[in-house]
Amino acid sequence: MLNFTPAAGAGSGAGGGSGAGGGNRARAVPGRTIRVRVKRCEGPGKASRWEVFAVKAEAGSNVISVLQQIASNPVTVEGERTTPVVWDSGCLEEVCGACTMVINGRVRQSCSCLIDEYAPGEGDEITLEPMSKFPVVRDLWVDRSRLFHNLSRVKAWVPIDGTYNLGPGPRETPAQQETRYALSECMSCGCCLEACPQFTLEEDPKAWGTSFIGAHAISQARLFNEHATGRALKGERLEALMGPGGVSDCGNAQNCVKVCPKHIPLTESIAAIGRAVTIHAVARWFRG
Amino acid sequence: MSFMDRHYFLLRRLHSLTGIVPIGVFLIAHLVTNSSLLWGKAGLRGEGEKYSFGADGVTLGEGGVAYFQKEVTWINEQVPHLLLIEITLWAAIAFHAVLGVYYARTGRSNTDRYAYQDNRRYAWQRISGYVGILFIFYHVATLRWGWSWLVPGGAVWSHDAATSTLAMALRGSESGWTGAGLVVSAFYFAGVSLLVFHFANGLWTAAVTWGLTVSARAQRRWGGVCLGLGVGLMAMAWSALFAAVTIDPREARAVEASLEQGRVVSPGE
Ligand code: SF4
Ligand code: SF4
Ligand code: FES
Repeated sequence: MLNFTPAAGAGSGAGGGSGAGGGNRARAVPGRTIRVRVKRCEGPGKASRWEVFAVKAEAGSNVISVLQQIASNPVTVEGERTTPVVWDSGCLEEVCGACTMVINGRVRQSCSCLIDEYAPGEGDEITLEPMSKFPVVRDLWVDRSRLFHNLSRVKAWVPIDGTYNLGPGPRETPAQQETRYALSECMSCGCCLEACPQFTLEEDPKAWGTSFIGAHAISQARLFNEHATGRALKGERLEALMGPGGVSDCGNAQNCVKVCPKHIPLTESIAAIGRAVTIHAVARWFRG
Repeated sequence: MSFMDRHYFLLRRLHSLTGIVPIGVFLIAHLVTNSSLLWGKAGLRGEGEKYSFGADGVTLGEGGVAYFQKEVTWINEQVPHLLLIEITLWAAIAFHAVLGVYYARTGRSNTDRYAYQDNRRYAWQRISGYVGILFIFYHVATLRWGWSWLVPGGAVWSHDAATSTLAMALRGSESGWTGAGLVVSAFYFAGVSLLVFHFANGLWTAAVTWGLTVSARAQRRWGGVCLGLGVGLMAMAWSALFAAVTIDPREARAVEASLEQGRVVSPGE
């Protein structure tokens, strides 16, 4: 199962990302054939199985382009013709989060995952699995609805809808912008949830309201609490985060911050929200 | 909505708080007292029952056993409302333990895939909690509630003979190690070590939970403080245990007997 390539395993501290700085690319063998081991699943509730494909590595290829090669000729190493592997993607430049999957045992975006980094040698193998914390739709494609549902639990937006023009919003200081910009880079990819030991697969949407909300939503609550207009909903966000599945469910394993491809300071957000709910709870108790 | 859900936040924070006050504070006091056994061990002369106390002055070891005995006597005779304090502690530990197990069961460790140091501590915090519950239960049941049928050799701890009966309970007999005594001592080693870790690491996570340490730098800095505290407490726990399992109960008994007769009052006399 554990099949870290040197680049993936020892990887740059904050993981994920573009694989920049890895040394494998330089020694990648041109024209080599690599093995791609894919966890296949026909649909929700179906059992999964492994299939291995041999693919001729093209210069500069990434996991998505390799999946395209497989789709054009879906034959396993045993010579069996099979269905094309299904995956999800969008931007192909690591900003939409749709292509997130587990590669060599570790969650990251597949579009930015370079084959030269992960399988530089002849016959090297790369393992692709769907994320395990979301229901599989098919093969490597998962349903991330719960991730978005959890953003709505903390009202991760600025309330400006209404029947009349509210005029220009309040000014934000450069210092506020600096804090908030980093948080605003979240692309809802789900890496932080996949790596979190407190975030577990929950297929029943009825249970989503009380199961752990995840680092991304906690961080987004902070983003909008710090927004001059978004602050209006701060109390409601904090109340949601104090309930079952809220910020208290975080067990401080701090995996989230290490796998976030956008290097969002998630554990600082968790602590900042921890502080905010502490103050909120004390104030509420005295206010009555 | 269940009771647990209605008071979700309060219970979570009480769980965190009880780990520090009273449990953590008690742990520190307990280890400070018990580590005095080390200097009790340091100088005993190894003459078994033939030991005649006080004949030629007080050695360091005699003083250590005497010191520990006096601490224990002081706690048992001078501390007001001792039973009330104990019951508060037991209730706090039970509360922390029951909720802790309940909360721990909401997570699923993944250190095989994400072998980060923080993630390993997350896993060990839960393992140490589980083992710690068993250890504390055994420790209190045998040495405080007198469930001597759980003690190899059947020693009953007495606060009038604190060192000797402790040494017997750990070694399994008065004269030396027994197999069962070795098992008990090993369990003690695991139990105290894991509990010290649990406290130090819990102190670190509590600061994040309550929002005291927000920036990554502050979290690292506080981590250093917790590490230092943990190392210090570990040293105390290990020295207490090392002393308790290596002191000859008969020698310690001789010191205690002479204390009872009022012949020795304090070290250096
Ligand atoms: S710090 Fe909290 S949210 Fe982040 S991985 Fe750990 S348990 Fe999950
Ligand atoms: S916080 Fe980071 S890891 Fe989590 S969803 Fe956003 S971008 Fe992805
Ligand atoms: S396709 Fe958008 S992040 Fe990979």
